[in-house]
This record gives sequence, C-alpha cells and structure tokens, in this order.
Amino acid sequence: MPPLPLQSDWAFVVGNLDLLLVGTGVTVALTAASILLGFLLGFPAGAVEVYGRGPLKRAVETAGVVLRGTPLLVIIILLFFGLSVSSSAFVTATIALGLRSAAYQSQIFRGALQSVDEGQLEAARAVGMGRLQAIRSVVVPQALRRSVPGFQNEFTIVLKDTSIAIVIGLGELLTVGQNLYQGGQSTAALEIFLTVSLIYFVLTFVTNRSLDYVDDHFSIPGGERA
Amino acid sequence: MSDDGLSRRQYLSTVGGTAVTVSLAGCFGGGGGGDDGTTEITAGTAPGFPPFEMKQDGELVGFDIDLLEAVVDETDYTLAGWEEFEFKSLIPALTNENIDVVAAGMTINDERDETIDFTDPYYSSNQAIVVREDGDFSPSSLSDLSGRPIGAQKGTTGESTVQSELIEPGNLDESNYNSYGNYVLAVEDLQNGNIDAVVIDEPVAQTFAAQRPVTIAFTYETGENFGFGVRDGDDEFTQALNDGLSTVRDGSTYQDLTNKWFGQQ
Repeated sequence: MPPLPLQSDWAFVVGNLDLLLVGTGVTVALTAASILLGFLLGFPAGAVEVYGRGPLKRAVETAGVVLRGTPLLVIIILLFFGLSVSSSAFVTATIALGLRSAAYQSQIFRGALQSVDEGQLEAARAVGMGRLQAIRSVVVPQALRRSVPGFQNEFTIVLKDTSIAIVIGLGELLTVGQNLYQGGQSTAALEIFLTVSLIYFVLTFVTNRSLDYVDDHFSIPGGERA
Repeated sequence: MSDDGLSRRQYLSTVGGTAVTVSLAGCFGGGGGGDDGTTEITAGTAPGFPPFEMKQDGELVGFDIDLLEAVVDETDYTLAGWEEFEFKSLIPALTNENIDVVAAGMTINDERDETIDFTDPYYSSNQAIVVREDGDFSPSSLSDLSGRPIGAQKGTTGESTVQSELIEPGNLDESNYNSYGNYVLAVEDLQNGNIDAVVIDEPVAQTFAAQRPVTIAFTYETGENFGFGVRDGDDEFTQALNDGLSTVRDGSTYQDLTNKWFGQQ
C-alpha cells in the first residue's frame, strides 16, 4: 500500500487560509440564518403539534413529515431550480436549511413541551391562569431549558449540512476547499479536507461548549436534578 | 441641529422623499435593457476542470473564462458576471434562467442537445486514458481495460465512454467502474492505487500529467467538440455568440488563448 500523501502540501493550505476563512464566514452566516429561521418556524410548529387541533395541527404535522422525509439535497435543488425562490444561492440555501431545521426543531420542542408534567398545567389553571397564559408562563420556560441538548444536535447538523449548498455553487467552507485543490495548483486534496474538517470541528466544539454553559446557567433549579 | 438651514421636518421629508424615489427606481430599474443593445448576460461554469476552468487564489480563471469573455466582447451583449455550479447543475441552471450561457468544457452531444442549444464548436477533444507514471499497467486500447478498476467523473463524456464502450458491450464489469464527484479525486485515487486508469478529456489529462505522477497511456478518438451552452430558442443570442466566436478565431485572440492555457505542456 502506498504511503498517504501527508508529507506534501501543508504550505499550500497555509497560504490559502485567508480564502478558507472567507468560506468559514459564509458557513457561519448560513448556519446562523438557517437556525434562526428554523427556530422562528419550528418553535410555533412544535407548540401547535402539542396544543393545537384540527386542520392547523394536521397541516403542521404533514409539512413536518414531508420536510423530514425529503433529502436536503432535493429540497435545495427544488427550491433553486424548480421553484426559483431566489436568484441568490445564499438566500435559497438559508430557506432550504431553515425549513428542514424547522421540521427537526419542531420535534425537539414538541418533546420538550410534552416532558413538562401535565400536573403543572393543571396547577397553573387551578390558580386562575388561562390555558394560553399557563402554557406561556409555566410550561414554555421549562421546555425551552430542556430543549438545549436536542438543540445542540440540531445546531451541529445544520452547520455541517451547509456544505450541501455546494450544489448551487455557494462559496461556503467546503466549496472553497474543493475549489482550492481543483484549481490545478496543488495536490493537497487530503490536506485541505483535513483542514476543513478541523474548522468544522472547532466551530461545533465552541458552540456546543457555549450551549453547555447556557444549559448549566438556565438549568431548572431544585429537586428535579437527580 | 446643524446650521445648514434645514429644519428637522424639512430634513425628514427630504430624506424620506429620497428614500421613496430610490426604492421606486429600484422597482422600475433593472430587468436587463433589451432595446438599447446592451443586454446583460450571466455566464455559468463548474470550476475544477483545469485548464478550462478552475479557481486560483480565489479567482475564477481558465481557457473557457478568457474565451467567453473575448467572444462576448465582440457582441452587443455585456457579461454581468460568472456563477459557479457543480457540472451536473449547469443545465438546470441554464434552463431556469439562473444563467444565460454555459462555458464549462461542455461536449456537444445529442442527449444535451435535446434540452439546450449549443454554439458552434470552439474546441475539439478526445478522451485520454490516464495511468500511474511508474506503474506496470500500460494499456494501449480500451479492451486492455477489461477487468481493471477504472474511474471517471460523474456526468461527463469520460463516463459516457466507459458506459458505452466498455460496460454495455460487456467488456467491463459494472462493479469495476468508479464514479467520482470530480476528476481531482479520481486522479487522487489513481495515485493511491485504488483504481488503475482514469478516462478523461485529453487537454485536462495533459494538465494532470504535467502536475502529478500520472501519464497518458493512450487516447481514444471520440472527436468531441466543446460548445457554449445556451437556452433552447435563444437564437438571437446564439447567433451573436457564433459571430463573436468566428471573429475571435479569425483574429489572434484564439491562438493567444490556446498558447496561454495549453502551451506549457
């Protein structure tokens, strides 16, 4: 077996770090925008699935099933080439990732909302709160705290899935990396892949640690911590 | 308040009015001229196909890039810019009007011709069979590839050659064919010994042979022609590109560009 070509082209990678950092910036912006869109749609969707009824609940559930069951690549291509929602690759990728993330996040929040003991809702009603107020003031604050671990997963998934936007030519991290070794100036394909992976790792590690901190800080005080 | 004589109210109404004017202009502007003879077009390509198109230091460069820009310069159209896609996304991008012309070393063939139109050919190429430089495998015809693991890039004419000349006639087992997202990975796999040959357009093969420990074992004559891809029915634009192309070919530009991009091998 021939040796891995590890000895060669790290200088090329170092020389192009500035380009990789620009790609990293696009990746971070795309992740942030998609997670935000996913939260704005996914949190209400999760609440509707738990507390809603009738056609609205069915519509939300169906949309979720369809989005979760469709490969992200297909969603991106449909939105860009089929529906042409935007001529901007960044906007299209944000919508695609955001919709898919909303479908995932709705389930994170559904689980978190359902994990809050029903007795709390009854107790809140018993002290005179309306149903909506009881949900908003008693259930949601606890559910949000409990959704942090699931949300960490979702963040990590969205961050790495931004690389699929390569198919519509968006210049995110992996695209930049690929363009570097395909430019004919270098044989550093493996070195570039390793560097790109390291950057993804640093991004996910830093964010997950931050979310750990948030989780600790806002964790529900009292007897439930067994 | 500054002493420029505007009251707060005047100031606000001026700024507000300007903003409305600007945003209205934004609505009515754009939409690509048409009558004044300076229609803007957007070109699309797929980097990773040296020397035809690739990224160097973040810049899109290559023979196709220079040639299309020279050709468009000879027409009444102006080139608004380049969009980059994966090769297999180029035709959908063209038909959906994300781009107006494809310059990506695209071979004119019947299958693609059903969906899009092509300009006159601007480059001819054959398929080259690339092997390891210091390997003991040196095929001289396609039949020598039987039973060997070989590779090509998805959606390219190299892949078509493997399919139509080797797999369909039964000379190569389907499982011996490896399909790659791009040629760089195919050549990487060749260097690492996972496959024994790569089928690839000849000028691209020459670039690889110049840069890596690989060599062209033989070429398979396909007489392929590269053309710029244009939308079906975009006849006026196609004609303009064809006229531009012949002007560029008649002058010294075409020769200069081939020397620049293919000369150093």
